[in-house]
Amino acid sequence: MANLFEHMGLEKERLHFSWISSAEAGKFVDVATDVANTVEALGPIDKFVKKVA
Amino acid sequence: MKLIHIDKKEWNQGMERAQKEYLLFSPVKDKDKEQYLFGPLAHGEVPDMTHADTVLSPKSIIFPQTEKMLHASLDPSQPDHHIMKRVPEEYGPRAVIGIRPYDVKALTLMNLNFDTDDYRDPYWCDAYKATTFIALGVNSPSSVDFSTSMGSGPFDETGVDVLLVDNQDSYIAKIITDKGQAFMEAAGFNAEADPSARETLDNIKANAEKKITAKVGTDTLRGREILELYEAPFWDEIAFSCINCGTCTFVCPTCWCFDIQDETKGKACTRFRNWDSCMFPLFTLHGSGHNPRGEKTQRVRQRFMHKLKYFLDKYDQGTMCVGCGRCVESCPVNIDIREVCNIMNNYEPQK
Amino acid sequence: MDQLTEKIRELASTLLKDGKVDMVIGFADGTLPMTSRPFLATESDKAAQLVWNSFCSLNLTNYITGRKEKIALFAKGCDSRNVVNHIVENKISRDQLHIIGVPCQGMVDKKAILKAVGGEITGLCEEGDKLTVSSSHGDVELNKNDYLRDNCATCTHRNPVIYDELAAPLVEEQTVEEPFADVAAIEKMEPVDKARYFDNLIKDCIRCYACRNACPLCYCPTCFVDESGPQWVGKGQNPTDIQTFHFLRAFHCAGRCTDCGACEAACPMDIHVRAFTRKLNKDALELFGWEAGLDTEKRPPLDTFNPDDPDEFIR
Repeated sequence: MANLFEHMGLEKERLHFSWISSAEAGKFVDVATDVANTVEALGPIDKFVKKVA
Repeated sequence: MKLIHIDKKEWNQGMERAQKEYLLFSPVKDKDKEQYLFGPLAHGEVPDMTHADTVLSPKSIIFPQTEKMLHASLDPSQPDHHIMKRVPEEYGPRAVIGIRPYDVKALTLMNLNFDTDDYRDPYWCDAYKATTFIALGVNSPSSVDFSTSMGSGPFDETGVDVLLVDNQDSYIAKIITDKGQAFMEAAGFNAEADPSARETLDNIKANAEKKITAKVGTDTLRGREILELYEAPFWDEIAFSCINCGTCTFVCPTCWCFDIQDETKGKACTRFRNWDSCMFPLFTLHGSGHNPRGEKTQRVRQRFMHKLKYFLDKYDQGTMCVGCGRCVESCPVNIDIREVCNIMNNYEPQK
Repeated sequence: MDQLTEKIRELASTLLKDGKVDMVIGFADGTLPMTSRPFLATESDKAAQLVWNSFCSLNLTNYITGRKEKIALFAKGCDSRNVVNHIVENKISRDQLHIIGVPCQGMVDKKAILKAVGGEITGLCEEGDKLTVSSSHGDVELNKNDYLRDNCATCTHRNPVIYDELAAPLVEEQTVEEPFADVAAIEKMEPVDKARYFDNLIKDCIRCYACRNACPLCYCPTCFVDESGPQWVGKGQNPTDIQTFHFLRAFHCAGRCTDCGACEAACPMDIHVRAFTRKLNKDALELFGWEAGLDTEKRPPLDTFNPDDPDEFIR
């Protein structure tokens, strides 16, 4: 799925997959922060986003 | 009815003049494909008069595939929140250039549905009223053209405002309505054709009609009992190859069914309509989950019965098919309405 | 009448006469040049309407889904691979089928012929690789191999992979140097150009769903685009909604698509819809060494878990 998204022009960095156990609070924070930072760096998305109906 | 002579060399200038007052539509070639569709012309762009048949009919100019109807604000701080209002739309003068005569006739049949004594569809009516139809007679009908069998023809004048006839290096323009006259004035075409033009036009028309080889019988349809055709045994065989896509109904110049949808985004709500198709499983699906046309055969039967029988009985205006041949050409599994019509027309019920 | 058509009629007629099957599904001639029509024969005299030519592009497996009868089916390489899919996915049982394999030399791209000839095509006569096309501009002779459909030109499974009998001798399989050159070309683009490519690709889509309905994989009782509670995707002509339909339909075909090209053959708007599924076929091959529909004993890669599955994308 990530590959097809990327193929259709969505930046790879917008889609993250991770496996986090409920015991891994630290990893969860790290991943969430990292996702937020990379996506923020890319700026607002304009693909796959429906404009006003 | 006045005949005007238009030198083809002056044609483009005339169109540019007309563009000052009208938004023009004509067949437009796809930039990557051998395919034509009706579309609006930008300023300075001239209509394509190379007689290309379009894949889709021009009905979308009056009846877009997706059309906004109403909108409302869902913001409770607004005084008119949740009150649906018509979406403002400009219906300035527009003209469709190079439309096939039977496609114009098709729009007059759709008009029977949208503009009635009981109800007037404002979106359709406003767009239809604003549009002038400058039809181009079809000198060389294609092999799928069977318009003469369906009460129309390559030079049908029903609903047409100006009928253009291609006569080598000129057009003979037959002005049929006041709307047509107004357009020709805007385009600056006013040279009266010489008296022989009437005969030339009749000859070209007769020649074109002679070239149509596809003949379809419709004469017995009117007199038949609906149930006799409805219950006929041939529908399963006709429907076998059908994949229930919407191609036939979407390319058709007279298919008028639509489905209404609401969409919201944030605090904005829009109600719009989309073309629907009797081929789709959602078509006429009831809220209870029951669908009177739940099976493929029932859906296929619905399409042909509506075109060739129900419409005929209800409006007494001939069949709802004008014989343009688009569905014959585009159907992925070659279900041919000419064949189906003949089967229906020649059917002899077993007693 | 050509030899293959003759053979097909004979086989079908015998099967029906002997009561070995309840029905035969094949192709009949269309009413226009370069068209064919999926055709059902339940009596042996109907078998005389069956034909085989280079315009039998649709996938007949689409017509056996969920049927209860004993069916004889004519199957090209791709059709047979979809039969395998159907068996694996429990859409039909092997015992119900009598598969008559039709080794395939590739189907012809009708639109390519239209483009090459120009004008209206009034007739087409096929003899071996030679196509004689009659049009309003007169007759021209074309070599069939120059006008094959894209998916046929790169096909490496022309012979049926599963059959009970053959209608013709097996053919030599093609070797294709770079079967996914088209996908690789898109992969090299910048994200913005990729997005532009796909936006342009579907700009003419009218959502008639011919691609979906011609596809033997698309047999869901209710397709996600037709669901209304919840409604996954808008139903209008909004480009994002159209994109979503194509994207998700393709993804539902991941690891199942045989690149039979029925979707493209059915499209009335001449849209290269395989651009979506081709990428997934390439991934299936590169990531899982998988080509769909070759073995009734193997489940598709997205249907199974294996500890060796690629997982670099998970952090």
